[in-house]
Amino acid sequence: MNKGKIQLPILLGIILAAFMAIGGAMVIYQAEKSRSSIPELWTVPEFEFTERSGEAFGLDDMKGKINVVDFIFTNCPDICPVMSARMSELYRYYSEYDFVRFVSISVDPQRDTLETLRAYAGSWGADDDRWVFLRAPIDEVVRVMEGGFKLTALELPMGHSNRFVLVDKNGVIRSYHDSFDDADLEALKGNIKQLAKGM
Amino acid sequence: MNKFRKFAFLTTVATYILIFIGGLVRVSGAGLGCPDWPKCFGRWIPPLNIDRLPPEIDPSAFNFTLAWIEYFNRLAGIVIGILILITAILAIRNYRRVKSIVYPSIAAALLVAYQGWQGSVVVSSKLEPFIVSVHTVLALIIVSLLVYVTQRAYYLELGVTTVADLFPKKISRESATLWGAAILQALLGTRVRSAVEELRRAHPLSSDLDLMGMLSPEFYVHIVLGLLVIGFTFHIARALLKKSEQLPGLVRQSIYGMVILMMAQLVLGFALIVIGMPALIQVFHLWAASLFVGLNLVLYTALKR
Repeated sequence: MNKGKIQLPILLGIILAAFMAIGGAMVIYQAEKSRSSIPELWTVPEFEFTERSGEAFGLDDMKGKINVVDFIFTNCPDICPVMSARMSELYRYYSEYDFVRFVSISVDPQRDTLETLRAYAGSWGADDDRWVFLRAPIDEVVRVMEGGFKLTALELPMGHSNRFVLVDKNGVIRSYHDSFDDADLEALKGNIKQLAKGM
Repeated sequence: MNKFRKFAFLTTVATYILIFIGGLVRVSGAGLGCPDWPKCFGRWIPPLNIDRLPPEIDPSAFNFTLAWIEYFNRLAGIVIGILILITAILAIRNYRRVKSIVYPSIAAALLVAYQGWQGSVVVSSKLEPFIVSVHTVLALIIVSLLVYVTQRAYYLELGVTTVADLFPKKISRESATLWGAAILQALLGTRVRSAVEELRRAHPLSSDLDLMGMLSPEFYVHIVLGLLVIGFTFHIARALLKKSEQLPGLVRQSIYGMVILMMAQLVLGFALIVIGMPALIQVFHLWAASLFVGLNLVLYTALKR
């Protein structure tokens, strides 16, 4: 058997494999890049609210974690139960990961006392500090809600947004997700996954 | 090389490239890059930017890169489907009386049509693992049929010479068994990949390496069967190379190719376990398996003639 005859296909095979490896790596890199480009929107302003446990909770407590934030109130008849149910699903979904935190802020501080928030948290199975429930004077809530999270706060408590806000470990808002839209919640999971790579 | 054989050979090469592209789609996560089928985001050509999305589609679901990766896969699929159809037409025209060429060519054309339709099921099932596995195995069967047809045409062109007597019948039976084992091994490989994805749903932020530590017995069966396939390949190679003096060139090249591919699979498989399933290595692992299936068929056909 002629050695040259067998070496040529091997050489061609190596060249072809090299081309495919380079092309394949480029495609995979572009796909990865397209998923990981979550824009940095706004920085959450400083705030100091009170958690259901009675302890203070502020921006520093959000830093170092991936945060999913929503605005609710416990007497809410229709939107909030759906939002909290979705939040509860996410809370269970990420139960293994301490670095994913859920933050629910009351837009009805008058009625949502710490005790009420504790009962509400319990009704959704929130039994640790991965899911916190916050209250503050309504003016403070409106300041953070409108000025920081860029969500409308008209005719509170009813007129709050049904969106989940994703905040990264530096306290920067990265994306907004409609809590009523399954596809959008899948997108939220994808974004959390991307952010988790930097944890 | 006559016209038919040249065309069948090119179609086979193109099909191998499509298998590679299909693997890339899978590992790059572009399988649902186009959420509808046959259109992509409601258009025959995917939108070039978000402003051109139809109003009923949620812009947050649109990823330009993933949509175009999947769309390119579909385009390549259509081109290769047409090539296989032309191969079947040429086979009917040129080899009307040669059943061993006409039947496999028609079967490849029918299967590729089915495969095209099955692509829609893959999308509508949202990449259901079993359906994705069927899609992969069908691709291996289609490429096997094309390899077989090309080979048969080659031997017809060569004239009526037989080498079957040179080798014990046992070896061709072993080669056929090896083909079946390699297909089964590819199927198990797709199951392992699916099992990792299922685990990822339960442990969404864990690394691939951590997920592999949780894998089911299917994973170990895949490793053991892989080692058996490698051992069996070396056994056949050794048995044939003993007759080194009488070996036709194609048989010798197939054996060397198979041994090289098996060694590559050993390295790639080991890398997947140690590094934690890097995407590109997954594609080459599947692609090398598909090349092995084809080369093994070349060997089988050469031994049987």
